[in-house]
Amino acid sequence: MENVTFVEIELIGGVQTHAIIDHGNEQFTSMPKSEYDRRQAEQSTPIVSDETQIK
Amino acid sequence: MATSPNYGWLEPDNTDLVKNGALAIRTLGNAIDTTMATMTPKSTVTTKGDLVAATAASTPARLAVGNNGETLVADSSATTGLRYTSGTVQPNPVLNSAMQVWQRGTTGTANSFAAGSGYNADRWQNYYAGSLTTSRQSTNDTTNLPFIQYCARVQRNSGQTNTGGLSFGQTIESINSIPFVGKTVTFSYYARAGANYSATSNALGIGFYAGTGTDGNVFFGFTGTSTLLNTTSTLTTTWQRFTHTFAIGSSFAQLGFVFTETPTGTAGANDYFEVTGVQIDIGSVALPFRTNAGTIQGELAACQRYYYRQGGDNLYVQMGTGSGYSAANCYFWVRPPVTMRVTPTAIDYSTLAAYDNVNVVTATAAGIDTSLSSKNSLMVYTTHSSGITQYRPYVLTSNNSTSGYLGLSAEL
Repeated sequence: MENVTFVEIELIGGVQTHAIIDHGNEQFTSMPKSEYDRRQAEQSTPIVSDETQIK
Repeated sequence: MATSPNYGWLEPDNTDLVKNGALAIRTLGNAIDTTMATMTPKSTVTTKGDLVAATAASTPARLAVGNNGETLVADSSATTGLRYTSGTVQPNPVLNSAMQVWQRGTTGTANSFAAGSGYNADRWQNYYAGSLTTSRQSTNDTTNLPFIQYCARVQRNSGQTNTGGLSFGQTIESINSIPFVGKTVTFSYYARAGANYSATSNALGIGFYAGTGTDGNVFFGFTGTSTLLNTTSTLTTTWQRFTHTFAIGSSFAQLGFVFTETPTGTAGANDYFEVTGVQIDIGSVALPFRTNAGTIQGELAACQRYYYRQGGDNLYVQMGTGSGYSAANCYFWVRPPVTMRVTPTAIDYSTLAAYDNVNVVTATAAGIDTSLSSKNSLMVYTTHSSGITQYRPYVLTSNNSTSGYLGLSAEL
């Protein structure tokens, strides 16, 4: 089960908000929140590969 | 009676009577006529450079000369068994087409259709509404495959009941798509089914798409997308090569394709399809399979343009150098071995630490500072509960674990 936490971190370039996805097996994925939001938005959109399903 | 030295035509002897000359001449003429009827007239060739080839046994035919610079290759589907082709063959734009590169590990469950997500095998994206496993397998076949060692197995996990599409595909970057635009191409691949493959009639769906935008994602959908191929292949448990020929319009700037099983019922232990040797050729013929780079190091480098992982194969693998930024954070400069497609937008990691040659300080989190990163030099930060000394040099290392790794993603 994946767990997502958002952290604000003060970096050299200023304060950034990052999403850290815990995949539950000591493996993590980290990205800026803007990138995370984009992926989440795409996941809620119908996909082109559905066309290749046999009707 | 005398005969001619080469074809054995009957000729009059020197002592024959003149009165029999007419018959002798006619006999000889008929024999010559019969022989000449078996020969190819010179009118068969009409143009400088034409060749005489055979369409079948004892059936010669003209093979028109090709264009300047073209070379002649054997092609059993051509009328004469020969055809001219352009002197250069475009590299196969499908990366990791022989399933040789698995930087993320040779089995995985990543599953997403969002751009940049859902990758297990390098460059190959997976999506299924249930749970899936993608793994590297040996092809175990030197009869039906041209000595391709590995394939990808795309499996609906046993017990899954979702009957949505189980998809596996690749988005080709625009820079590698453009050479195929405006041309007729042949898409080819080798595939077979597992013993419990559940799709109706053992069908494997194949969709090939083109888009007018730049560097989109085929799963999510290209800008200005068009479906160039939407068909099925009938799988068996034995490897087969499938080919599809179609045209790509000149208005497109990006290509991608997806294999899809539409499963039925509840997944058994072997509800999977396997695929390898995926290739795109210009023209109407599938050429012998070849990878993009021709060498494993070249193929790996081509894949590292999109994703690079270090670690995962030893304890305390050092991945970058840096220093303490505060009591809780370090900065590390990480340089990928090849310039990446774009500045990475995400990292994945496990079991990282900062090391100052005395103490190993466990990292609780890590990330990329995109404001200070580029395509060939990345700024990775780590977060620690405590124990970091500001301004002290550190190296980024896996923390006493062969499972520790750092991955940089610039995937499409």
